[in-house]
Amino acid sequence: MTEPILEVRDVRMSYDEGRIEALRGVDLAIHAGEFLAISGPSGSGKSTLLQLLGGLDTPTSGEVLFKNTQLGSAINLDTYRSKSVGFIFQAFHLMPTLRVLENVQVPMLALSPAPHNRAERAETLLREMGLQDRLRQYPNELSAGERQRVAIARALANSPEILLADEPTGNLDSVNSARIMEILTGIQKQRGMTLIVVTHENEIAHSAAHQIRLRDGRIEA
Amino acid sequence: MASQLSFAGFAWKNLWRRRLRTLLTLGGIAMAIGAFVGLVGFSRSFEHEWLRMYLSSGTDIAVVQQTFLNTSVSESAGATLKALPTVAQATPMILNLMDLTPEVNALSYGWKADSYEFDSLTLKSGRRFLDGQPEVMLGDLLAENMKKNAGDALEIQGTTFTVAGIYHGGSALEAGAVIMPLDQMQKLGSLEGKVTAFHVRLRPTPPGETPEHYLARAQAEIEAALPGLRAVPAAKRAGNNQLVQLSHAAAWGTSGIALLIGILGIANTMAMSVFERTREIGILRALGWKRWRVLVLIEMEAAVLGLAGGIAGIVIGWGSLRVLAALPQTASIVSASFPLLLLAEALGIAVLAGLAAGLIPAWRGAHLSPVEALRHD
Repeated sequence: MTEPILEVRDVRMSYDEGRIEALRGVDLAIHAGEFLAISGPSGSGKSTLLQLLGGLDTPTSGEVLFKNTQLGSAINLDTYRSKSVGFIFQAFHLMPTLRVLENVQVPMLALSPAPHNRAERAETLLREMGLQDRLRQYPNELSAGERQRVAIARALANSPEILLADEPTGNLDSVNSARIMEILTGIQKQRGMTLIVVTHENEIAHSAAHQIRLRDGRIEA
Repeated sequence: MASQLSFAGFAWKNLWRRRLRTLLTLGGIAMAIGAFVGLVGFSRSFEHEWLRMYLSSGTDIAVVQQTFLNTSVSESAGATLKALPTVAQATPMILNLMDLTPEVNALSYGWKADSYEFDSLTLKSGRRFLDGQPEVMLGDLLAENMKKNAGDALEIQGTTFTVAGIYHGGSALEAGAVIMPLDQMQKLGSLEGKVTAFHVRLRPTPPGETPEHYLARAQAEIEAALPGLRAVPAAKRAGNNQLVQLSHAAAWGTSGIALLIGILGIANTMAMSVFERTREIGILRALGWKRWRVLVLIEMEAAVLGLAGGIAGIVIGWGSLRVLAALPQTASIVSASFPLLLLAEALGIAVLAGLAAGLIPAWRGAHLSPVEALRHD
C-alpha cells in the first residue's frame, strides 16, 4: 500500500472559543488518484474538513499531512495552495472584472516567477472545457454551467495534484450538474489526480470510489 | 493572440471597475500635485530671479543685519567697507515692497545714483535719476503695466515723483521694480542714515588663491571690521532671504495641506475598495496568493492612482505657472520655464502619497483570513 497523499489525524476544529465544535476528532487517509466524496447534512463539518484539507485553515488540534509532511508547519500553506491543490467553489468565485481567459491566469500569478506562457496555457485549458468561444467574455456573460467550467480550468491552472470541490453542482441544474461531474471525473481519471468533492447529493456521493459521511463533526461508521 | 494577464493589468482593472470613484480620487490628488507644482514652482522661480539679479549686477557679497528685511544697517558702515583691501566697490541699498496703486505693488529699491548696480540695467528712455531729487526709474514691465513714460508724474505714499527714466533689467525682479534715490527712500520710510544692505563687489581673486577661499577670506574680513553685521555670499543670499524663505514656506505649507487631503482621498478609496473586494481577496488567498502579493497588488493600485493624479497635476500646475507668468501682477517674479527637477519631485511625491495612502488598506487586505474573506457578502 502506498503512502497517503493526504492524511488527517485526530483533527478537531472549534470556533467561538470552543463553544462551537465543527470537527470532533476526524481521522482520514486519502491516496493519490482517489475520488473521495464527503457528504453529510448541513453543519456536519464537511466544508470545514475540506478547508483544512485545502490548507485554507489550520485545525485547533490534530494534524493534516500532505505526503507525510504537516501542513502549516513543515509546508507553507500559501505555497501548498498555489502548487498542490486546485479549488472549485459552489459560487464559482470568478473575478468579475477579468475576462474568462484572464480569470484562468490568476492562480499562475501566485507563482514566482509567473510562467511566461500564461495566456497559452489558460487557452488550452479552456479549450479542454469546451469554452474556446468564450475566452473574451466576462463571467456575468456566461451561464452558470460555463462559469463552473471556467472555475475548473482555473483550478487546473498550476497543474495541482489534488482537486477540491465544495458543492460544485450546488448552483447548477441537473443537466449542467451531470456535465460538471463528468468533467471532474474525467480529469481525475485522465490525469490521475486526487479528487475530493463535498456534496449533499447522494447520486454524486455514490458515484465516488470512496465516500465518507460526516455527522456532528465525526465520520459515521 | 491570447491576452496575457499581468500584475499591473490586474491592478488597473480593479481601479477601472469604479470609474467615477477612481476619477474623483484622481482629481483630488491631481489638484494637490497641481498646487505643489504651481506654488513650489512659483517660489523657486522667485528664488531663481533673485539669483539672476545678483549675478547680473556682479554682486559678490551682501552685508546685512541678521534679517533680510531689517533696514537697520548704519549707512556710515560704507566707509569702513570701502577701506577694506578685498572690497572693490560697496554700495548701500534699501529694499521695500510698496503699493504704487491699489492694484499694483512692486519691489522698490533705494540706490545711490552712482551705484554700480546700474551697470546691469539698460536705459530704454529718459535718464538716470539724481540723488536728492524726487525722481524714480521704472522697470519696463512695471512702466508698461502702469502706462507710465519718462517725464510722467507718479505719486508714491503722498509724494509726487517724476519718472526720470525707464530701464530694462536682467531679472524679472528688476523689470517689475521701481528704483529711487536712496535718500528719497529713507525720507519716505523715516529711515535717515539707515540701509537694508551693502552690496559688495570684490577685487579680483589674487593669483594662487581659489575663488572660494578668497570669498571666505573676504567674508571674515568684513565681519571682523563690522561686528554685528553678516557678510553673505550672493548665491547663498538668493535662497536665504526672508522673502524667498517666506514664499518657500507658504508654498510647501499650502501644498502640504493639499497633499494631505489628496492622501486621505486615496486612503478612503482604497479602504472602500478593499472592503468591497473582501471576498475577491479571499479567493486570491485561496488560490495561493501570498500575503505580500496581495499587499503589493493593493499598493500598486494606490501608486497608479498617485502616478496618474501626479501626471494630471503636473499639467494643471504647469498651466497655472504659465498663467502667472503672463499676468501683469505676477509676471515680474515668475518665469514660465519648467524645471525637470520639479517634475521629478512632483511625480515622486505623487507616487509616495499613493503608497502611503494605500498602506493601511493594503495591510488589512493582506491579513484577511481566506476562510473569513470567502464568507463575506
